[in-house]
Amino acid sequence: MTYILRTNQLTKVFQGKEVVSAVNMNVKKGEIYGFLGPNGAGKTTIMKMITNLIKPTSGDIEIFGEKLTNTSYEVLKRMGTIIEYPIFYDKLTARENLYLHCEYMGYYDKKSIDHALDLVKLHNVDDKKVKDFSLGMKQRLGIARAITTKPELLILDEPINGLDPIGIKELRDLFKMLCKEYGITLLVSSHILAEMEQMADTIGVIQNGKLIKEVSMENINGEQTDYIEVTVQDIKKAAYILDHHLGLNNYKIMNEKNIRIYEMTVTQQEISKALILNDIEIESINKKHSSLEEYFMKLMNGEGIHA
Amino acid sequence: MVKLMKLEWKKNQLSSYFKGLIICIVGIFAAVSLMAWGSKVEDDLMFTDYVEFMSLANIFIRIVFIIFSSVILSRLVIDEYRNKTIQLLFSYPLKRKKLMQAKLSIIFAFCFFSIIISTFIISMLVYFLNPIIGFFETPVSLNVMIATVPTTFISAFMIAGVSLIPLYFGMRKKSTATTITSAVLISFLINGNVSSGGSQVSLFQFIGVPITLCLLGLLIGYLSYHKVEKLDLA
Repeated sequence: MTYILRTNQLTKVFQGKEVVSAVNMNVKKGEIYGFLGPNGAGKTTIMKMITNLIKPTSGDIEIFGEKLTNTSYEVLKRMGTIIEYPIFYDKLTARENLYLHCEYMGYYDKKSIDHALDLVKLHNVDDKKVKDFSLGMKQRLGIARAITTKPELLILDEPINGLDPIGIKELRDLFKMLCKEYGITLLVSSHILAEMEQMADTIGVIQNGKLIKEVSMENINGEQTDYIEVTVQDIKKAAYILDHHLGLNNYKIMNEKNIRIYEMTVTQQEISKALILNDIEIESINKKHSSLEEYFMKLMNGEGIHA
Repeated sequence: MVKLMKLEWKKNQLSSYFKGLIICIVGIFAAVSLMAWGSKVEDDLMFTDYVEFMSLANIFIRIVFIIFSSVILSRLVIDEYRNKTIQLLFSYPLKRKKLMQAKLSIIFAFCFFSIIISTFIISMLVYFLNPIIGFFETPVSLNVMIATVPTTFISAFMIAGVSLIPLYFGMRKKSTATTITSAVLISFLINGNVSSGGSQVSLFQFIGVPITLCLLGLLIGYLSYHKVEKLDLA
């Protein structure tokens, strides 16, 4: 697997305070990398360093296989970015803004402007000045601008801020489409977990400037199996029943009373039926679902105490 | 470079400033000629010849265009920083030095050419209107007008350099108001120097002071971009 972006011990100090400390992140080519972290965790700072707007205090960034230096301008041609919030020349119309963008980027396929506006579903905005746009529209226009020049890497900082639920869904589909059909690698930051869960292939969790976990969604889903928790009076007998009558192996005795059954081949009804038929009193039986949210909350809180 | 300047021009819709330029020229001419004409009515002549007439006109031209340039300066550079669009501009695959140079060149060139154009237009107006209205008694000869051309160019160049000085004040707090205020102060200060005292002394000052200030302006222009590649964009 090739990496499109890697950072090595990336650190940034602002006025004696470490805002980003020793971050090693690895973004694979062709994936959606979700950058997750609370406000002020350093997401934007890292993204600014990647786009060369801020210079790292120490450590380095490798992008498209090249080391990023003060004068790396060519790599910028291959990236599309929105950092912090979408910024435009307010007095110009949407189309003029995109046109200028193409000129500055040295990209001369003018049809791509229409195509990009089409992709983000911005219609009939040709004569409207950007200062009259809503935040949601600006976000869309920002994404349109970022994808006009068909970049290899899209860096989007909080792209779903200010969008309505339908807009969020549309953009999520758009991001997935860009990734699958155009082979664009996306680095998307957000503090909204559910969004990341639905979109990202890999998630990097950042807190207090540290990348505390970098994990692919497949692994998370593997770790986070649902389970059924049964509370019974006679734990040994219950375990025996589970083993011999239902043929279950994947369960765990938590304490004197609780058993967690991780195997999803049997339903809750079957378990309770089997236990009752064998004269075991059930105090409660619940299907537990451990969401990504819990996973990350645990992760962050755990780290928070250490930090 | 020329391409970048064109893009800047388009982006900031600088063509709309041509209207302002024309209004300024007409205004300066109207002010000076009204003074001349008014003093003639009062029988207390203000100007005796073309050179005297133009010396006052030139003072107005310098003041007006230093201020005018500072307006464009704040539009092109200060506003770009303040609205954070500079962040966008710096994420393009272009040398940042070049981008800044393009901006400053526009300001410099704008100031330079507008001073020359307005001097030229006002001279022409004087040349053709003096026989009709009679601002002063001595008729204007073409030789006298041509003799002023080199000085006009030199002073236009110097003023163009001076017009970059407000950049220093404006960039400290990224404020449009500071930029323009400092331009007003600078322009009055310089032209006060030029017009005061006897002709000999003021000539010396005219060469010494503006040259220093012009170089200072160019230095400020240079300093504004020579480290731009290494600095963080706040």
